[in-house]
Amino acid sequence: MISESKFYKILRYVVLIAACVFVIIPVMPLVFMAFKTGVEYTTTSVLTPPENWFNMYNFKYAIRVGNLGKALLNTTIILVISLTIQTIFTTMVSYVLHRFDFAGKKLVHILFTLTMFIPVVTTQTVVFQIIYRMGLVNKMLSVILLYSGVNIIGIYIMLNQLNSIPKDLDESALIDGASYLRIYWGIILPLLKPACTTLVIINGIGYYNDFYIPNLYLRKDVQTFTVALYKFFGNTATPFEIVAAAIFLGIIPIMIAFIFLQKYIYYGLAGAIKS
Amino acid sequence: MKSKGFLAILTAIVMMISLVGCGVEAPGGTTAPDTPSSTGGTSSEDPSSLKGTTIRVYTHMGNRVLGEEKKDEQGNTYRDVENTAFLKYLAEDFTAETGINVELNVVTNEEELRPLFQVKDDSVDVFTCPNWSLDEWKAYCEPYCTVDEGVEQYGEYAKAMPGVDGVIYSIMPGRAYNQAVVYNEEVIKAAGYNEIPATLDEFNKMCEKIKSIGITPISLHRVENWPLATVQDFAGYVAGNANVFAECLKTENPFSEIAPFGKTIKIYTQWKADGFFEPEVYTDFGVAMDSVAYGRAAMMLFGSWVVPQIQGRVPDGKDPSIIKFAPAPDFGKGRYVLAAPADNWSISKFSKNKEAARMFIEYIAKDAQFIADSGFIANKKGVEPIVPELYAIIDDLVASGDCNVLLQPANDENTVANQKVLEEAGLWADYKYVGLLFDSLDVTKPDDWTAYNKQVEIQNKAYAEYKNELGLEWVD
Repeated sequence: MISESKFYKILRYVVLIAACVFVIIPVMPLVFMAFKTGVEYTTTSVLTPPENWFNMYNFKYAIRVGNLGKALLNTTIILVISLTIQTIFTTMVSYVLHRFDFAGKKLVHILFTLTMFIPVVTTQTVVFQIIYRMGLVNKMLSVILLYSGVNIIGIYIMLNQLNSIPKDLDESALIDGASYLRIYWGIILPLLKPACTTLVIINGIGYYNDFYIPNLYLRKDVQTFTVALYKFFGNTATPFEIVAAAIFLGIIPIMIAFIFLQKYIYYGLAGAIKS
Repeated sequence: MKSKGFLAILTAIVMMISLVGCGVEAPGGTTAPDTPSSTGGTSSEDPSSLKGTTIRVYTHMGNRVLGEEKKDEQGNTYRDVENTAFLKYLAEDFTAETGINVELNVVTNEEELRPLFQVKDDSVDVFTCPNWSLDEWKAYCEPYCTVDEGVEQYGEYAKAMPGVDGVIYSIMPGRAYNQAVVYNEEVIKAAGYNEIPATLDEFNKMCEKIKSIGITPISLHRVENWPLATVQDFAGYVAGNANVFAECLKTENPFSEIAPFGKTIKIYTQWKADGFFEPEVYTDFGVAMDSVAYGRAAMMLFGSWVVPQIQGRVPDGKDPSIIKFAPAPDFGKGRYVLAAPADNWSISKFSKNKEAARMFIEYIAKDAQFIADSGFIANKKGVEPIVPELYAIIDDLVASGDCNVLLQPANDENTVANQKVLEEAGLWADYKYVGLLFDSLDVTKPDDWTAYNKQVEIQNKAYAEYKNELGLEWVD
């Protein structure tokens, strides 16, 4: 007879293994497909492993034809610049909203909140026209500009974090002669680091995977990774084994980033949940 | 309360300003009547003055720019640029002859071009797009010529080109036989047949035989909606009348078995019940084409455009001509093929290089080899057509009188009215009027047609209701 504690231990493992299977199975066909030949892809089941695990043809083809190296570089540039600008803007706005009283403060709060209820897609016709008139279509700056705007979720995360930073710190610095900018830069921003990490993780993942905006605004030479992937799709036929290899390559930077930033990611996401 | 009221007014004002700022010209919203800037598809400007101009061409037929997708000896996918990037070579020849540069761009579909047209962007000069509505053709394309001028150059085919109010917006320099049987000759020979049978009964028997040797008789690719377009044209064969779509207006029960559409959809659904289509969905149309090229399926029911693509996919060492093209069997009124204008080329309304763009399109229309390589037949007056080998069987049957030709009808008042009724009834988009019926039969219960019959009633009722509500009737 199995003891109760042993039963729960087994149950725990069963549940964990089942959870792993649920997570891994959808990814398996992608991995298998990436190493299959075109003929194998069309003739075998998606869950059939490839005949040759060392078939690198699809990867080489994807890199060469899809220009994935350049696309990844473009994505990185866009991410770094827009996330930096967005983080600075969001923290500045949050600092002002949290620490200062001014006429219309509540209205600003409400207007920021209102933007949450407007789906991005519904405003795109107008936004596209504005960006077009600015001459930014097909320029990386268009996407950077759109990604760099203040993020309302970010503001809430920052405001929550600011609640835990005593106002006495600002006041002491003010008495010592520090300017507001100096207080923001020297005290507030470093203390908002955990919230900034959360913001960067949430939006970074979103922007890395975003297809809609880059595809709309970057039509020619400047392509992000997701747009480069889309170029493999034909009007009727698509070589999915090549697409799978390209997606596989796209996962690698995320995995590397995850390995190096694990601590921050866990901490950041825990912070977000707490927020 | 005061602040809430203020906010409500502020929001309303912001929304109004946003809407005013939109300023997007809706398709069909142009007020001035369109007239072709040049008549009969001829250029009026001195060609030498256009030297050095660069025109930007956008096409959804990427295989003619990037090369056909093929498999090498190891089975890996590659693009056969050398032998199949016909448009790329045509553009190079055009540049060499005229001094006008051509920048070729591949788009996956028309959705990618729409935002550019909505802001009247001039970066598109020439484009091919198959799925605009007539309103969109009018809103985004430069009038190419009048229908009368089109008829003079392209015969009766011009009437079926995208046109509104007597003006053609997209010129179609080729003609083709559409909606026939694309088949793998080796497979049907293995089933004991040398050709596609002439009657429906024999055709069904052949499908049974093919199925019995473990091969899928018909590759449908139902996972997407557009393959259902064949059903719409087959209804013309069932009725022996090309105008059958518009003539739905003459009845209130177009989906009943007694009506051509109802009968055609029933034939298709019966094939489904008999297990003639692929048992598992194909992930992609490329896989569906490969199924015929590799002999895992016997045939497809599509237009001639698909033949070169499947021929390009046959395994190394096999003769591509094993992929053949023959008329559909006799559904009761004789054997038919649909003759239609093919390929489409338009000049963007917002192009700043309209003359050079027109020269490029005219250059295409004169290149019988390019049109033949694309699977079509050059149709412009004065151009010696090259008939691709793929039409041999159909041509023979037409010549012997065993197969009749239906010319694709024009988009006339009745066609537009019928489409309107289907739209209002929620049955038009994505060929729902076919798809909903076809899908209502549960393939695991092939003898139970209850759901199908119920769907027929629902669709007939909706059709009659909206036809009456809109007050649309057949106009002689």
